[in-house]
Amino acid sequence: MLETRSLSVAIGDKRILNGVDLTLPEGELHVLLGANGSGKSSLLAAIMGLPPFEVVEGEILFDGAPIQDLDVHERARLGIGLAYQRPPSLEGVRLRSFAAALGAEEALDREAAALDLTEFLGRDMNVGFSGGEIKRWEILKLRLQDPRLLLFDEPESGVDLEHVSAVGDAIRRAVAAPDRAGRVCSGLVITQTGLILDHVAADRAHIMKDGRILHSGDARALFAHVRDHGYTVPRAA
Amino acid sequence: MQTRVQLPAAPTLSNEERDVLHDVGFDDMDARSGTSVLVDHEMRVAVSKDPGVEILPLAEALDTYDFVQDLMFGLASPEHDAHVATVAEHMHAPLGHFVWVKPGAKVRMPVQSFTLLETPQARQFTHDVTLIDEGAEVEMVSGSAAPPAVHRGRHISILECYQRPGSVCRSVSIDHWGAEMDVFSYGWSRLEAGARGLSTAVMLSPIRRSVSRSVSILEEGASAVSQAIVFAPEGTEREIFTETRLAGAGATSEDVARMVSSGGRILNDAVLIGDAGGTSGFLGRDGLKLADQGEIAAIPALRARAEGALLSHEASVGMIDGEKLAYLMASGMEEDAARDLIVQGFLSLEDDRLPEGVRRRVV
Repeated sequence: MLETRSLSVAIGDKRILNGVDLTLPEGELHVLLGANGSGKSSLLAAIMGLPPFEVVEGEILFDGAPIQDLDVHERARLGIGLAYQRPPSLEGVRLRSFAAALGAEEALDREAAALDLTEFLGRDMNVGFSGGEIKRWEILKLRLQDPRLLLFDEPESGVDLEHVSAVGDAIRRAVAAPDRAGRVCSGLVITQTGLILDHVAADRAHIMKDGRILHSGDARALFAHVRDHGYTVPRAA
Repeated sequence: MQTRVQLPAAPTLSNEERDVLHDVGFDDMDARSGTSVLVDHEMRVAVSKDPGVEILPLAEALDTYDFVQDLMFGLASPEHDAHVATVAEHMHAPLGHFVWVKPGAKVRMPVQSFTLLETPQARQFTHDVTLIDEGAEVEMVSGSAAPPAVHRGRHISILECYQRPGSVCRSVSIDHWGAEMDVFSYGWSRLEAGARGLSTAVMLSPIRRSVSRSVSILEEGASAVSQAIVFAPEGTEREIFTETRLAGAGATSEDVARMVSSGGRILNDAVLIGDAGGTSGFLGRDGLKLADQGEIAAIPALRARAEGALLSHEASVGMIDGEKLAYLMASGMEEDAARDLIVQGFLSLEDDRLPEGVRRRVV
């Protein structure tokens, strides 16, 4: 579904990602591990096409077609969606208006009820939301958008421990369910703490360091390695 | 002109008139406690359906009630400036309404009043007087409009509003004049002890020049919360001057304006005056600039004249935040749709105080 080939990304003159090769097959859920500043969020932003990230080398392929020259809304309409770690507040923009602008009014109440967000619907987007509320809203936002490739930027950050399972379960369900056209979805999740791994069945993990993918492997084994040895390449067994 | 399927009932108005007025808040007269409609130089409707509300043409009110002559130019001076003097010259036959909400009346349905300028290049000078008597509570919707075919004309209006002790008034006013019109609006209001006023002014349509000047005097324990929603496309010039005087101990006010220019010019000059101790007031002026053309000038000023007057203001003018734009576009919205949503949110167009019909039209 998603493939990056020798992907290099810059902000102005500064390189952020260097030759990233990543393959995410249809129906799989992968996680990105790495220290702060390793390039995880930049990779998700570059896949989504957010400014100010610019692809300076390589390709991003979605369903086999290059998308690096497409505008952000065109990528979203192809079926890529991003749950932000720290979304901006949009004062005066009610969640219902956002759903209406997406043409997803009908889905709103149903999806909100599933995420226990019904009481939010009269509120302004991300205004005064707690950490956990932001994460649940970002998942609801993806459900309204109905993407096939779901990108999650640190979905457990700022969430109480007791609510991490709810967020994790919601991510698992969102990725496991087909989109409204019945197509299989995939997910790419950034995690710092690894807590989310208790709730999502990750197929594979990738360690990022200095804007590169250092190593890829089994998600749980790799996280266990990171916990003991930091963001390094595991020695061959 | 296309006629809507369900127009508000008003037998003395044509379908087109009702259609035009509907855009500025007009609703079925049966769903309103009272209605006044002034068309060109004729008071077409002055009807009350609530015993707590009396609505008369101002000329008739002057003949009917002695006290009305003390209310007329009781707050405004006929020599205030040349425009007010022009209206004052017509004092022998004043054109406008007198709305009286009787003492203690708790008016269930809103009172609505409208001004329509139907004749191209017409000159219209109006003077309205509103008296909300002691302990009364009312919601008022007012609108001013010209049909789409009428581009040019001149309108000068004076409104004097008296809120007696303990009264409550929630009001919404909407203007939708012709694009080449010149409009000068003057408003004076006095809120007596413990009175409360909540007002929303919506100024979104293109207009060559609109100048609005208002003065509010708040006596002991009175409070006023007001918001203005202002939009100026290219070719529009809006000047808004407000003066709020916290005249009595314990008076409070909050006055917020949100302004968007897509090439037009907006001048918002506001002064908050603390004349008594134990008062507090806030001025907020926020602007969003969508084009290189035009200008937004926000000039909030504070004047404390008594110890214990607590006054503050905030002002900002900026552009649409690129991060917010990208956030919405990352859900699949085109840039124009994302901009519209941000601007509508900035202008608080989903505010529950706006009539549903008005919100639908402007959103």
